[in-house]
Amino acid sequence: MDKPGITRRDFVKMGLLTAAASALGSGVMKPVGLWAAAPKIKGPIKVGYQAVLSGTLAGYGEFHKMGAIMAMEEINAAGGIAGNKLEVEIRDSTLAAPASIQNVRYFVDSWEADLLAGVDSSGQALAVAPVVGQLDRVLMVTHAATERLTEEEVFKKGIKQVFRICTPTYQDGNAAAFVAKDLPATTWATINPKYEYGFTTWKMFQETLGKLKPGVKFVADSWAPFGTTDFRPHINTIMDAKPEGLYSVVWAGELITMIKQAKQAGLFDTIKHVLLPVGAAMDVLEGLGPDMPDNLWISGRYFFLYPDTAKNKEWVAAFKKRWNHYPAYVSETAYSTMYAFKKAIETAGSKETAPVIQALEGMELDSPAGHRVFRKEDHQAMYEVPWGLTATDPKYPFKIMGKQIVIPAKECFNRPPFEGPGTTPPFKS
Amino acid sequence: MNRYRTYIAAVLVLCVLVGIGLFSSRFVLYLTMRVMILSIFAMGYNILFGRTGLLSFGHAAFYAVGAYGTALCSMHLHTHPLLVILAGAAAAALFAVIIGFFCVRHTEIYFAMLTLAFGMLVFSLMWNWRTVTGGDDGLSGIVRGSISLGFFAIPIMKDSQYYFFVLFCFAVSVLLIHRIYQSPFGLILAGIRENHIRTEFAGLGVKRYRLAAFVVSGTFAGLAGSLGLLLESNVTPFAAHWSHSAEPVLVSLMGGLETFSGPIVGSVLFVVLRELIERFTHNWMLWFGLILLAIIMGFRGGVVGATSVLLKRFSERP
Repeated sequence: MDKPGITRRDFVKMGLLTAAASALGSGVMKPVGLWAAAPKIKGPIKVGYQAVLSGTLAGYGEFHKMGAIMAMEEINAAGGIAGNKLEVEIRDSTLAAPASIQNVRYFVDSWEADLLAGVDSSGQALAVAPVVGQLDRVLMVTHAATERLTEEEVFKKGIKQVFRICTPTYQDGNAAAFVAKDLPATTWATINPKYEYGFTTWKMFQETLGKLKPGVKFVADSWAPFGTTDFRPHINTIMDAKPEGLYSVVWAGELITMIKQAKQAGLFDTIKHVLLPVGAAMDVLEGLGPDMPDNLWISGRYFFLYPDTAKNKEWVAAFKKRWNHYPAYVSETAYSTMYAFKKAIETAGSKETAPVIQALEGMELDSPAGHRVFRKEDHQAMYEVPWGLTATDPKYPFKIMGKQIVIPAKECFNRPPFEGPGTTPPFKS
Repeated sequence: MNRYRTYIAAVLVLCVLVGIGLFSSRFVLYLTMRVMILSIFAMGYNILFGRTGLLSFGHAAFYAVGAYGTALCSMHLHTHPLLVILAGAAAAALFAVIIGFFCVRHTEIYFAMLTLAFGMLVFSLMWNWRTVTGGDDGLSGIVRGSISLGFFAIPIMKDSQYYFFVLFCFAVSVLLIHRIYQSPFGLILAGIRENHIRTEFAGLGVKRYRLAAFVVSGTFAGLAGSLGLLLESNVTPFAAHWSHSAEPVLVSLMGGLETFSGPIVGSVLFVVLRELIERFTHNWMLWFGLILLAIIMGFRGGVVGATSVLLKRFSERP
């Protein structure tokens, strides 16, 4: 047949039909089910967890997994959450924002997760927050650190579903400045990641250190994009500027590469004061082993030798026994997240989002990392993580934190309403 | 006979899509929206690839320009969905005119490489211009406003409402592209693909037609980008990356290059297969690659092409 399949008239008809259907579809509401808040919790409690499980930063994902699985096993062995089994599914977030959104959609709408957790990068956290608000599920962020998540998305925009159990950029920027103010260095430079996390921490470090120690100078910055394998151009830029101190939040496998290349270039011979806010990650310490230079300042979101409490020691021993690793900070945050969920659900007597949010706000939690309090205003967990100098210890095949300084969270975390005087450190009271 | 069959098939698809919109769970809605958005992207792309015979490796740039245009417009100007989508598509068209102007002077591998280079140029622009584009983190938290039509407004905030908006755009795009294929312009494009020298001898400005095809397909990519942005409320520079440019190529190849419905079928396969494989393994790319290989080697002319050949053979049997 030579005639075209469909005539113009047919198409106009079809177009009108579609338009009509579209108008009808958005007008007609689906019947809403009458699920009155049942007082009893029914069925298993499902937690959808996402972390990076591929690429050069996959080491982090494995540590997330160990913490989450271990908590799940323990909780289920002890009778579950309010008598219900805890189920955890872990998906690869690939560190890309679209993937993290797709994971959240899958967890909530297809797998029917009751709660969500995980998320590594700051960009992902900011992308996921509005979606989580829309889907109305609690998300406990266990790694992404940008303060914009809690200050803007939770506090200002009111996305109450988002919580964070790990220390935010305040630990990396503000607390680092408290450490730096007591060092003799007066000129600082940075090699930082070329995304939200890198920009925001360096800005915070500069602002806080500038207030604590007027007269310090920031002489150079070099921005390493995600996936950098050759840090030599960045190292050269910094060494040419001849700073007395180096600040870098480069993390995971990239930090290992950077330290190795910096060592070859002799950076640690000329720059004596080095601050690595996420240097105390186990994959970095284990990955570098004896190659990690001594006397670098490192920190993280938790370090297994702090706090010196029975709870922490027992947990570290149990973790070592279960996985033959020392726990990384993401293991601790993943582990404690499950216990935070347990406590919140049991307090609320429900796994529905609204009562769980209510229970989590202001909740106190005893965890391996110490005593945590979820700040009501911005849903940020307040707890202390030490800063310390790398040191060799014959008991461990890697460098540990020797001399430790603890900057209390109350002193270095920004305070609500996050605008105007008195909201950023140093605080008068 | 043939005419009615197409007609019935189109109505049937439409009914299924409306049915999904009315009765499906939110996750199915989300997946279907992604399929429709990818379809718009791929069908628009296929105007250039399948119809005109130009293989572009830079179409993600237009998708991303559409998404960024929409995001910036709704952040700084107005959130009316029609306006922001228009802004996105217009921005993509503008970029397509500029980039196309340089690219259509060449064909085959040179054309492909040029589009790839321009695509990556757009990518680095978005990646580095942090004050405007948000750099590596992109733009997030873009909200969908209501479609205000003067005296009443249609809300599209919820996924179940936005679905019908996407469906409407999808149907309009399919109709438009079908019209383009039936029009003299579309036939000239096919003529260029078959023999561009002969077309030139017929007195037609081949470059102008190529540019026109380039701009039209770029605009559809921009539309897809706009809709994708409003769906995910987020865009990152990687939307412009060459690896994203490969998506419409794959989808067109899977579905059938020189068929009209090929890109749609390809999009369904692409999204659904990936979703299924991801449930079993983290290495979904490996399995996906193998299946893709099987489809491309096993089905000549894509799934639609091969199936229609089979059907024809079956119906011609006495």
